[in-house]
Amino acid sequence: MIEALQQAGFHDVRACHFFDSFAGTNKERVAKKYGVRGTNFTAVK
Amino acid sequence: MAIACPVGFDVARLKDEVRQTYSAVAREPDGEFHFHRGPEYAARLLGYDLAELKSLPDTATAPFAGVGNPFLMDPLPDGASVLDVGSGAGMDCLLAARRVGKQGSVVGVDMTDEMLERARAGAREAGLPQVRFEKGDINRLPLEAQSIDVVISNGVFNLSPDKGGLFRELYRVVKPGGRLQFADITLEAELSEAARNDIDLWTG
Repeated sequence: MIEALQQAGFHDVRACHFFDSFAGTNKERVAKKYGVRGTNFTAVK
Repeated sequence: MAIACPVGFDVARLKDEVRQTYSAVAREPDGEFHFHRGPEYAARLLGYDLAELKSLPDTATAPFAGVGNPFLMDPLPDGASVLDVGSGAGMDCLLAARRVGKQGSVVGVDMTDEMLERARAGAREAGLPQVRFEKGDINRLPLEAQSIDVVISNGVFNLSPDKGGLFRELYRVVKPGGRLQFADITLEAELSEAARNDIDLWTG
């Protein structure tokens, strides 16, 4: 994600918060298997 | 996270599945889905202010299915122009509209008619005329170049099979010095080829 944003021209790309967005859903096991989580990003043009 | 979809991937089918899934969420937010919805989820797992969400129309908050919280980053400036990419039922747009005030503007772009109907009704009910919603493909935004101060989005970019193209399109519409602050799902493990071809994993 960060690399793709930089390739598009954005700079100061950062991942800044993480969320266990799938906790308690029926995809929780798959989410844990692949390390799926919600992530906040910021980037500047 | 995969940046491009596999060769031979049925992009048209993916878009149709995404549209069907989120149309179903708009019609029946309390239905059975493999992701959370609604304001209680947003407050409990994502750090939204439940009291503020309860002050918004249920039509906008009930189908909320974001995965993070763009409002935990830099504050939206008074008078800013904001774009919400894949705005769904409009909850984040209404929150953004309150932050930028009446001198600002918020446009939400979504491809799902049922979500757009909910979003427009929610904006009317909330009394926020600085918000508008446009139907469109997020890879071909119906916006002029360099017209946006801040792009927000929540759990949508992962649904695009062409993220490089999407990010170039966002770069086009953002003003110099403008910014993105968005949430999306990420993976720590590399997906197998079979998993990358699994439409259910993309649409969820």
